[in-house]
Amino acid sequence: MEKMHFNYAATQPIERPVHIGVVASGDLEVIMKPTDKKESELNIVTGSDGFKEVWQNVLNRFFDRYPLLADFEINDFGATPGVVNLRLTQAMEALKDEQ
Amino acid sequence: MSNSFVELHARQRAEALLDAGSTRELIGPFDNMISPHLEPQNIVPEADDGIVVMKGQLNQKDTVIIAIEGAFQGGGIGEVSGAKIVSALEHVLADNKAGHKEYPIIILDTGGVRLQEANYGLLSISEIHNMVIALKQYVPVIGLVPGRVGSFGGMSITNALLSYVIGTDKARIGLNGPEVIEQEAGVKEWDSSDKNLIWNTLGTKQRQATGIIDEVVDDDVNAFRTAITAAIDENKDSHRDQRGDFYLSLLDQLDPSQPLDIAGYDQLFKQVVAKPHHLAPATSGSQPGTKSRGRNWFELLTGIKNAHSDVPTVLHAQADGREYVAIVPAEDNRFPRVRHGEVGLQEGYTVASVINDLIAADADKPAAEKTPIVIVVDVPSQAYGYKEELIGIHMSLASAASAYARARQAGHKVVSFIPGDAVSGGFLAQGLQSNRLVALDDLDITIQAMSKASSARITQRTIAELEEATKHVPAMAYDIENYQKLGSLYNLIKGVKGYDSDANAVATVKAALDDAFKSLEDAPADLSFRYTNDIAVNGEGGGRKATNKVRALMDQQW
Repeated sequence: MEKMHFNYAATQPIERPVHIGVVASGDLEVIMKPTDKKESELNIVTGSDGFKEVWQNVLNRFFDRYPLLADFEINDFGATPGVVNLRLTQAMEALKDEQ
Repeated sequence: MSNSFVELHARQRAEALLDAGSTRELIGPFDNMISPHLEPQNIVPEADDGIVVMKGQLNQKDTVIIAIEGAFQGGGIGEVSGAKIVSALEHVLADNKAGHKEYPIIILDTGGVRLQEANYGLLSISEIHNMVIALKQYVPVIGLVPGRVGSFGGMSITNALLSYVIGTDKARIGLNGPEVIEQEAGVKEWDSSDKNLIWNTLGTKQRQATGIIDEVVDDDVNAFRTAITAAIDENKDSHRDQRGDFYLSLLDQLDPSQPLDIAGYDQLFKQVVAKPHHLAPATSGSQPGTKSRGRNWFELLTGIKNAHSDVPTVLHAQADGREYVAIVPAEDNRFPRVRHGEVGLQEGYTVASVINDLIAADADKPAAEKTPIVIVVDVPSQAYGYKEELIGIHMSLASAASAYARARQAGHKVVSFIPGDAVSGGFLAQGLQSNRLVALDDLDITIQAMSKASSARITQRTIAELEEATKHVPAMAYDIENYQKLGSLYNLIKGVKGYDSDANAVATVKAALDDAFKSLEDAPADLSFRYTNDIAVNGEGGGRKATNKVRALMDQQW
């Protein structure tokens, strides 16, 4: 297990919390909560050690496209980068549906 | 399947069953009530700890759904997840007692105790059993077993306590998983790679034919909604925890030395006629029985030398106005899987008959005059065997747990005295329904959810890794002194060991039992002592702090 922390400059604050996914084998859960801070903060717990660089790449791409300002908590049980990206996008879409 | 129920995760299952727009989740993923015991063992937690509690309406009836997420840690029950279930059921009970009809539904998708939180899991599951039994006096408690993980371990004992159970043909129900049976009893007993045998034995088709599940529906959300509504409207209750006479009659006709296949069992099942079974109190025999700590203390406390009983593995007798009950080894016993003192099919049902007889005999007495019960606990485990699973050993254990819980809820004071091992399903049946646990401070006592070998295999760790984990999480340990740190014990008796028999030791234990019973005068008849005492609330070794946090938050959000 490894814990990681990232910060991203972001411009689109979210209004309400959102939760997507399950900590199942090859999957992860993403929680986004509204924040008063100036940048997005991500706290990640992953069962697969040594992939910090891969996470960084996936997150760079996500925040380039969608600069969501929120507190992120991610609990990961060995999801591939594709699944991580999918869940992040789903979380974002769930926000849109509710708004 | 366009409207599949099995394919859904726990939260979606709860939402799918409830009327649209009526739902409210309690202690959800935004409340950050994660298990404090997983990260210290390098295990990724889940924000809801694998339990979704959702209030809402099902066909306009107020309903509370408790859904277990089978995909997270095999749906295992730990301290937080267990406390979520128990506190939700407690509120449902309080609401129903206050005249507000509210229907609890439990979606089982679980391997039972979360082995990484071992003793917390066992405690929580016994507290769930207590609540289900109490609730059934007011409303049916409906269970669903959609499938994926199915229903196993201590949560299958819960399953057998539920009023009415509905599943699909994608589900399996058993107590011990085939891998554990292979580990404990050998590949000849059960080859866990034989998937056909597993499905044919534990699958719901077989289970429905032999009374283990009530209804099998299509894997479809609406099929579940319809079946649940009918079960509630018709107040269905299969009384699965009170079929002792039937199963004891069945066991009378069974030759345990011969192999039993599914067809043979189905035939036996069809021809059994239930005859009443009552076990006479133990009497003094000429030959000593198989030596054990449980037998040692049963004989010392009742004064019966070489105690002998018609069921060689179950001893009971009254002494000093108390009823003593012990499950003991018997080296020549008819059922080979219980020769070391395990709780098997016959033991669970026989203990239940003893306690049910006592409840009936004392039914008209006021609570203060009901016979107090001492459970003498020395159970190395439940029985691991193929026949045991085929017949449904989880129902036998449920019958014993149910009898003790109903006795306690009726006003009998129940104290467990632990001079020997207290392991797993055996302990759930024979010990954990008491409102006081009193143990000897003897490091030869093993108190756990599973043997080290099996636990290591199931959690995919080495025994060395498992032992390392016990240093960080007292609930993972195997000894009584770590167990005390959870706050579960009323008293840990110093200076007396399991095989002691001198007058001093006996006097010390008798005084400790007197003290435990005295503490129960005017005390609640529930299991709350375990999480409200000082060690549980403030203890440095963990206590039940997370339990108390969950309970407070549930009170707030309910």
